[in-house]
Amino acid sequence: MSNNMAKITDIRKTVEQLKLEVNIERMMVSKAAADLMAFCEAHAKEDPLVIPVSSSENPFREKKFFCAIL
Amino acid sequence: DFLHICKQCFILWLREKQFSLFFCEVQPNETLTNLKAESDTLKTKLEDERAKLHDVELHQVAEKVDGLGQFIMKTRRTLKGHGNKVLCMDWCKDKRRIVSSSQDGKVIVWDAFTTNKEHAVTMPCTWVMACAYAPSGCAVACGGLDNKCSVYPLSLDKNENLAAKKKSVAMHTNYLSACSFTNSDMQILTSSGDGTCALWDVESGQLLQSFHGHTADVLCLDLAPSETGNTFVSGGCDKKANVWDMRSGQCIQSFETHESDINSVRYYPSGDAFASGSDDATCRLYDLRADREVAIYSKESIIFGASSVDFSLSGRLLFGGYNDYTINVWDVLKGTRVSILFGHENRVSTLRLSPDGTAFCTGSWDHTLRIWA
Repeated sequence: MSNNMAKITDIRKTVEQLKLEVNIERMMVSKAAADLMAFCEAHAKEDPLVIPVSSSENPFREKKFFCAIL
Repeated sequence: DFLHICKQCFILWLREKQFSLFFCEVQPNETLTNLKAESDTLKTKLEDERAKLHDVELHQVAEKVDGLGQFIMKTRRTLKGHGNKVLCMDWCKDKRRIVSSSQDGKVIVWDAFTTNKEHAVTMPCTWVMACAYAPSGCAVACGGLDNKCSVYPLSLDKNENLAAKKKSVAMHTNYLSACSFTNSDMQILTSSGDGTCALWDVESGQLLQSFHGHTADVLCLDLAPSETGNTFVSGGCDKKANVWDMRSGQCIQSFETHESDINSVRYYPSGDAFASGSDDATCRLYDLRADREVAIYSKESIIFGASSVDFSLSGRLLFGGYNDYTINVWDVLKGTRVSILFGHENRVSTLRLSPDGTAFCTGSWDHTLRIWA
């Protein structure tokens, strides 16, 4: 009896969760994709791995080595 | 664990330190069969609603975008010092310090420019699967097989025993798989092999919110960029990626298209999408506003699982660390592979872009970390 109650409670929670998920507002993929592309393009200049900056501005590509004086 | 006293209209749940009281009235027609049928109908409806928006593929829309130039990245630093598999790493906001954790039970803080070790802590357990740097740079959090997440303030005095100031924050009933500070040092979000995620107050150790919904181990999580509000995404062994409202504990959206465990999830920099890496050897992109998967990053030649993913600053590149020891770099919009990077001598287990986007760091079962730029 109590096992059945637990199952009913679980599946009722699943049903409520699914109702929430079904009812959210959605956007067409074409619009969502356009927004993703627009973001990439707008931020490309600030992305040092897409538009490479000179080696002197990338601390890991710098040729000089650091020495710790003990 | 929960205590379940079942009467006709009264169920008491006992969860961690929280008590929630439900009054449950069973309606005569609410049998298990009816509810199951309703659940199936809703699942089909959800698929139908999502399919209605699928008017085009992302890579088709991206055909007009310029291709990326030649992509060259190399190992610029190798961090050696762990005695066993590196399982996790995180960058400090200062763009040069890194914290890493290992199966050897150690958590090490490195200066990535010089490769010097600045701090080391020995945890009471092996398999420290999760570590994170605090936003202030003054503390690190870590945990694993001890089922806890502990915070260690970092001392300026290199001789001080960090373990003495350790603060236990999170308590799960199974291993800690991932942890992340929210936008301050005051709260930590955790995910666990016990199937839940949880939000904790660091100072008091109090559980602020718990997130139930995964039906197996939760392996990873990522917080939405702060501009987009209080949500996070988690991925698990139930092949699901769930998006959660941090305040209410509610699961807002759920995606189940992977064919195996989801090892890593990461938000697209705008917060409108997230990527996942899975044992099914694919990475995928899910758009939150279209509420569906919009890209799959895969190749027939890639047959080993992806353990960790991260985006470049603009979101154009997706870096994936794989169990075949390589890193594959994907053009997020076009869906094509831009580059494959070799160097590690065992599985890549963790990968994160540096805060200024000039480099990324990988950790591997070969005991080392590498900085690529």
